[in-house]
Amino acid sequence: MALLELVNLHKHFGGLQVVLDLSFEVNPGEIVSLIGPNGAGKTTVFNLITGLYAPDRGDIRFDGKSLLGLEPHQIAKRGIARTFQSLRLFLNMSVIENVMAAAYPRTHANLAQIIFRTPGFRKEETRIRAVAEEKLAFFGERLQGYRFDQPAYSLSYANRRRLEIARAMATEPKLLLLDEPAAGMNPNETLEITEVIGELRTRGGYTILLIEHDMKVVEGISDRVIALDYGEKIAEGTYHAVATDEHVIEAYLGRKSAMTK
Amino acid sequence: MASDKFGRDEWVAQIDARRAAPPGVAGQVLARWNALPLGWRWIGVLASFAAIPFLTSNDYLIRVAGTVALFATLSLGLNVVVGYAGLLDLGFVAFYGLGAYAYALLSSGKFDIHWPSWVTLVFIGVLGLAFGVLLGLPSLRLLGDYLAIVTLGFGLVFVQLAITMDRVEVPWHAGPIDVTGGSNGLINLDPLRLFGLDFGEPLTLFGYALSSVALYFYALLAALAVVLLVIYHLNQSRIGRAWRAMREDSLAAEAMGMPTKRLKLLAFACGSAIAGVSGGIFAAWQHSVFPLNFSTDLLITLYAMMVLGGLGSLPGVVIGAGILAVIPELLRSPELARVAFYSAVVLGVALFLRPRRNGLIVLAGVILLGLILRLATQTLWPDLLSPPTITVAAESVSTAFERTAQTFGIIVQKWIILPMEPTPPGNVAFLVLLPALLAWARLQPSRLKLGLLAPLLYLLAFVWETRLTAEPAVTRLLLIGTLLVVLMIFRPHGLLGTKRVELV
Repeated sequence: MALLELVNLHKHFGGLQVVLDLSFEVNPGEIVSLIGPNGAGKTTVFNLITGLYAPDRGDIRFDGKSLLGLEPHQIAKRGIARTFQSLRLFLNMSVIENVMAAAYPRTHANLAQIIFRTPGFRKEETRIRAVAEEKLAFFGERLQGYRFDQPAYSLSYANRRRLEIARAMATEPKLLLLDEPAAGMNPNETLEITEVIGELRTRGGYTILLIEHDMKVVEGISDRVIALDYGEKIAEGTYHAVATDEHVIEAYLGRKSAMTK
Repeated sequence: MASDKFGRDEWVAQIDARRAAPPGVAGQVLARWNALPLGWRWIGVLASFAAIPFLTSNDYLIRVAGTVALFATLSLGLNVVVGYAGLLDLGFVAFYGLGAYAYALLSSGKFDIHWPSWVTLVFIGVLGLAFGVLLGLPSLRLLGDYLAIVTLGFGLVFVQLAITMDRVEVPWHAGPIDVTGGSNGLINLDPLRLFGLDFGEPLTLFGYALSSVALYFYALLAALAVVLLVIYHLNQSRIGRAWRAMREDSLAAEAMGMPTKRLKLLAFACGSAIAGVSGGIFAAWQHSVFPLNFSTDLLITLYAMMVLGGLGSLPGVVIGAGILAVIPELLRSPELARVAFYSAVVLGVALFLRPRRNGLIVLAGVILLGLILRLATQTLWPDLLSPPTITVAAESVSTAFERTAQTFGIIVQKWIILPMEPTPPGNVAFLVLLPALLAWARLQPSRLKLGLLAPLLYLLAFVWETRLTAEPAVTRLLLIGTLLVVLMIFRPHGLLGTKRVELV
């Protein structure tokens, strides 16, 4: 059974149709890439899945249950976590706190337990700390040791992208939505993040849906690629099938070049 | 990699600089102090605070200490809402007033209701929680400035209600009912009675007589300790982290599974419960409540305390409350104000001028300049000078400290040129002083700058003696304002706050 199903999804903003009759599935253990020109509606799809927008029509099913009408934090608790294209870290909190804060949906201590520091609360705190350190260890030495107590704003751009992924992992999701994880990175860092995404599946066991403009990343890791244009799915399949698809070339390069090819 | 290396060096250097204690004895003491566990440090501070009633039997001093504890508790409550959750709440004082009025109505002869104190306080806490949620609910969709306006409205409405609810028309009841006593407030409230202890009666403990004021001081101190502990624990937990995450980026926090609406309500509720209970103790302490106890002035004072100490820092907020509660008291009598003023000037020169030698030279220069000018005026135009206006009070009516302050005042007035008619030259000097200070601050560091400091400080002293001591009310506000401005320029993040960035 598919982990995530989008069924005939529609969304418009005023007169602008941003998502038009979109259906696709993501199966457990898969890495699926969403590609498309700027303004094709990729990030809107993420916002629909995570509950930031409500769709006009259609259904979104996760683990067989509809997500419609749920608040974003409830969807996160069901097991979907995301990163943001324009980074949205908790800048004035330390690196480790950024990750520990995201463990919120997997913790249960209530006010009384917190105020009286019961053994249950202390145990949970120790566990969150261990989880946070484990997630940060995914990026090798980059976010280790002295970095834990550093404020997030002091991190380099690439490290902020890594921290966002670690933070998303701390919600212990089944599905990770990565919005342009390689944006703004140099070729070395891009290569590294590609490997990390591969490891997220093999070592972390996450199913991944990602938006990416860098075709090297998409080619390197995707099981399947879905191409969007003007909110519509124009192609789906393996990287090579989609990359050579007539509609996709047309969407990226324009009609004339599609015809001359 | 290169950027990582750079980031590391910079950060490690910063941390090392912070860890390295300043040199000298003070640095050593500070280092020892910081090495103690956090809990012991707080117990140490609170215990030395608690010793005050045993050191002095002066009710006025104990009352000031009580005010510090009360303001610290209130600012801590406000800090939960503003410092942690990032909600700009301007209706905070209304909850404080609500608690005070609730206590007044439930423990006075007004309607002849006399609940046991502990029941009243618990009830007030619950009432604060409920009203916090009630105000929070419509505010959930509002952010920043809009939330500030709505909550400010709530605060203003509360004061108006307290003033006008002396004539409430009720159906099936002949004539209006007086609920709040209008602007005359409610008086003759019952004292607190907790654990068999009547806070209205003096108590003798181990041979020490503790006055009623001292007992209330302990009640306020206990409230402060409990609030500190609770807030500290909350901050170091999933809820505290979620509050701060919400302050940083509400949308990201929601997407990471934090129920931001519920967390906002919880922050409002915690803050208003703290305010409510503080209000209840305040009402009992004062034996009365008046609408103007809960005006916007108090709100601004609380914000100033919080920002001065450092938003989000617990010791910072407590220190900020201490400073801003004590300074107005210090400035109440002109003699004390003079001592505080000259100490601040000497301290400022000693702290900010490096090397230390320069500070000593400048101070000596100012004193010398004053003596020369005084002698010159005395020999050339002796008629212009007025004799010192201060007289030392008799031993029987004043303390040794007050007499020292008065003697100091006489010495200063014999040093400075004190004209017979001080107001006109004082006004002119004031007008010259302000642009001169600003111009001096813009100068590049040089010998000239250092040299100009002495006449400038003399002018400052002249303005103080001729103009400012004559109008204590204005001077108080002026000095507090100056303190805040100077502090915010040198430490925009407050005394103990951590530097924050908005966007990087």
